[in-house]
Amino acid sequence: MSGIFSQIKAVVMMNVRSLPRRLWMSLAAIFAVSVVVAVLLSFLSMARGFQQTLEGTGSEDVAIVTRSGSRSELNSSLSRETANIISTAPGIAQDGKGDPIYSAELYVIVDGIKRASQTEANLPMRGISVEGFDLRDQVSITEGRVFIPGNNEIIVGEGVLREFDGFELGKKIRFGKTEWEVVGVFSTGGSAFESELWADARTVQTQFQRGGFQTVRVRLAETGNVSGLIQMVEQDPRLILDVETEADYFAEQGEALGAIVIIGWIISGVMALGSLAGALNTMYTSVSSRAVEIATLRALGFSNFSAFVGTLAESIVLSVVGGVLGALISFGFMDGLSASTMGASFTQVVFTFELTPELFQDGIFLALLIGVIGGFFPAWRAARLPVAIAFQRGN
Amino acid sequence: MTDEILYDLRGVSKSFVKGKERITVFDGLDMSIKKGDFLAIMGPSGSGKTTLLNILGGVDQPTDGEVWFDDERVDTLSENELARWRANNIGFIFQFYNLMPMLNAARNVELPLLLTNLSKKHRKQSVETALELVDLADRAKHMPSEMSGGQQQRVAIARAIVSDPKLLLCDEPTGDLDRETADEILEMLQLLNREFGKTIVMVTHDPQAAKYAKRTLHLDKGTFVEKDLAA
Amino acid sequence: MSDLFLIYKNLTRKPLRLFLTVFATFIAFLIYGTITGFQNALDSGVELSADDRLVTVNKINFTQPLPISYVNKVKAIEGVQGVVHMNWFGGYYQDPSQFLQTFAVDEKAFLEVYDEITLTEEETKAWLQNNQAIIVGDTSAEKYGWKVGDRIPVGSNIFSQADGSSVWDFDIVGIYKGRDRQTDTTSVYIHYKYFNETQSFGGNYIGWMGVRTVDPKLNEQVIKRIDDMFVNSPFETETVPEKAFQKAFIAQIGNIGLILTSVVAAAFFIILVIVGNSMVLSVRERTAEIGVMKTLGFRSGRIFRLVLGESVLLALVGGGLGIFASLFAMAAINQSPTPLPDMLLDSAAVQTAFAYAAILGLVTGIIPAISALRLNIITALTRA
Repeated sequence: MSGIFSQIKAVVMMNVRSLPRRLWMSLAAIFAVSVVVAVLLSFLSMARGFQQTLEGTGSEDVAIVTRSGSRSELNSSLSRETANIISTAPGIAQDGKGDPIYSAELYVIVDGIKRASQTEANLPMRGISVEGFDLRDQVSITEGRVFIPGNNEIIVGEGVLREFDGFELGKKIRFGKTEWEVVGVFSTGGSAFESELWADARTVQTQFQRGGFQTVRVRLAETGNVSGLIQMVEQDPRLILDVETEADYFAEQGEALGAIVIIGWIISGVMALGSLAGALNTMYTSVSSRAVEIATLRALGFSNFSAFVGTLAESIVLSVVGGVLGALISFGFMDGLSASTMGASFTQVVFTFELTPELFQDGIFLALLIGVIGGFFPAWRAARLPVAIAFQRGN
Repeated sequence: MTDEILYDLRGVSKSFVKGKERITVFDGLDMSIKKGDFLAIMGPSGSGKTTLLNILGGVDQPTDGEVWFDDERVDTLSENELARWRANNIGFIFQFYNLMPMLNAARNVELPLLLTNLSKKHRKQSVETALELVDLADRAKHMPSEMSGGQQQRVAIARAIVSDPKLLLCDEPTGDLDRETADEILEMLQLLNREFGKTIVMVTHDPQAAKYAKRTLHLDKGTFVEKDLAA
Repeated sequence: MSDLFLIYKNLTRKPLRLFLTVFATFIAFLIYGTITGFQNALDSGVELSADDRLVTVNKINFTQPLPISYVNKVKAIEGVQGVVHMNWFGGYYQDPSQFLQTFAVDEKAFLEVYDEITLTEEETKAWLQNNQAIIVGDTSAEKYGWKVGDRIPVGSNIFSQADGSSVWDFDIVGIYKGRDRQTDTTSVYIHYKYFNETQSFGGNYIGWMGVRTVDPKLNEQVIKRIDDMFVNSPFETETVPEKAFQKAFIAQIGNIGLILTSVVAAAFFIILVIVGNSMVLSVRERTAEIGVMKTLGFRSGRIFRLVLGESVLLALVGGGLGIFASLFAMAAINQSPTPLPDMLLDSAAVQTAFAYAAILGLVTGIIPAISALRLNIITALTRA
């Protein structure tokens, strides 16, 4: 027999070609692996989508100021006075007229009906001035118009429209005693701000009986440089504040994701053990049903290494096919699926599942792992089959 | 039917459809087997001897005719009734022994007794007796894989006789054995026939084996040519 | 020798195959058991809610305040047995990110309305008398190593004192246990009066009210009376049964039930595919033997039962081991401090698990059992 590589190639071809003979066993292994990969990718795409939304939110060019220790916009509170002082800090960018670019905002929670479950969930309502729009990248009004300051009008983010009932353009909504009208829909390029309702800051103050604000956002003169603000806060005993870039702030909010990813891998890992049992079963059966064939090849002079590789290749082919199938299933069902869940501040964050190429790789990796381990021991057995079997009648 | 005759086939026909052809194995065959008979059936392949054995064993049904066993019609029984009838009346011995590989000798022999109401104690006794008869009492706990072909066949014989059936049907019982072992097995069958009055029908292609029987029937394309042998 | 023995012998013919199929079943039921326990823990909050308790919150959202004057008005309503007002403190311990569920409550009414909180007489007395008292649940106490008599600092993410500090000191006067194994014992409770007097926002506001009714049958009526009372006021209320409130809260996280069911379904699908296939193969390898059994006189029905018995026995053994292992896994998880109540499987859940195992056994065995049933003796013996 010429060269080890042509031997291996020949054996691998024979093994793979013989798969249809063991159709049901092979399908069993393929399905078992596909299910595991589908489960893994579903969890990971969930976490990824959540992460993307939070990461997309929050800019390095904007600093967010909250009361010290509040950890979320909801918990924070700043007086008008404090907001004014902050606007005088060094390091803030200026507009054409030489005024500092900043936005003092309110953040309250109202109830909305989640479309999918028809149950109530917390929706954030942001009291914001139109100047505040400048502090978000890519705000655009996609339907209707912006609210008029002083009116009981709100604009809703596209995410809210997707996940909640009753916030369509023109609808009137009651929050407590006040009636508000939806006058527009806005988009912020898919970030978490699209899970919010926006209204004029003054109006929210009046209707929710608040004197001050929750947060102040400023545009930084230099990207990522909050040192001017921090210095001012440290030197002034009246200011008990936390300052960080918006990007950092939202990154912290997404720490729960770590949990989803870990849980996803644990569950898939345990299931993978089950699939592994299936893969081993399939491969051992494959080897024993082809024992005479394998022994005959060996009798003809094929090396036992080629028998080993041939069987291993068979297992890997089955698992990878299963992995791709699982990824496709996951992609078909999950990718782009919109969902919302409770973020920090107990409010809903709308996100979409995202199956990225990296995740696809993770799935195939898991499939490969199952294929290699599931094929290794049966391949070993195939390599060590006594050649004498080829000369026996019946089995 | 006289007390003498155990098995009576009357005008039995058997045919089946293969593809587009209708193949006739028997057409109006008559056959009688007396109690205590030791009958060898020989014939080339395709002669129908296996089919005949299957009909005798209630494993196959004729397409026409009547099959009488000991005053009872067998060809009209339902599948479940046939199972019961076989358990009570027939013992099979196959060319390739057909022992259960995962049971030891004693348990293989005990298998037919699970179809009876015998107590555990009785079953044990019957098994012991049967194994002693075939001279394998010392190998009761051995697995089939640990025994030679001849020993396995003897276990099979023990299994065939353990519930004391009226008729033993043997399909090429020595086909897989060497001459010496074959003779041992055939002698055992003769013993069962002469000493214990078991009626035996043996299908074989081996003329040497046929010599052990009391008479031989030759089957060719579905009909008999009888040849008597001196006992 | 019995039928069970034959089943056992047939199962153990290929020990490796048996191990792999039992293992696959084991894994699936390990997952099933753990997930069911998790679901149970999530539901326990709902299950353990008292039937005769309602929650009254601001209609806009439960994060909006209510005036404290509402408490006496609600107390006077017919059908109301007791009312306790509660405020979310936004507490943390030592680090602002180490959240501690802290509630400022009316100290007397609290123990009356939430009677699943169990304290000794001594502890109760100290709680009522000491303005700066705090009672902590045994789970949190264990996590942080707290003992009765300790003075601990609890910070607030939301509130601050007049001097600007957002940390309060409290005396631990009692460590409460829950009446039921799964009652939440992570939360801590302080006096409303002390909190309200020292926090710098001012105003006499409360977060929500826990209302105990005289009889659960009166819930609907009491709900209407409370909400009607405050309609058109600046602070409209929304009252719901505690169970409903808990359920809605969990629903905010997402359709967890659907996710969990899908995972379990996926696990069961794997078994079906692997074990089912294995059974079919195993029976096919025994075609000749089945034929022989039939010639011996074994009825087709009996053989059908023998094959089915194999798959069911396999499923029960694998499933039983998996459930058993899940109990261990859950016990281990319960040891570490989680915000979740204990995960557990009650006897009904275990029975259900075994029922599922039996069903899976039947499903994986039905096809090979039927083919064994129908197997023609002649075909079986010639195939050999």
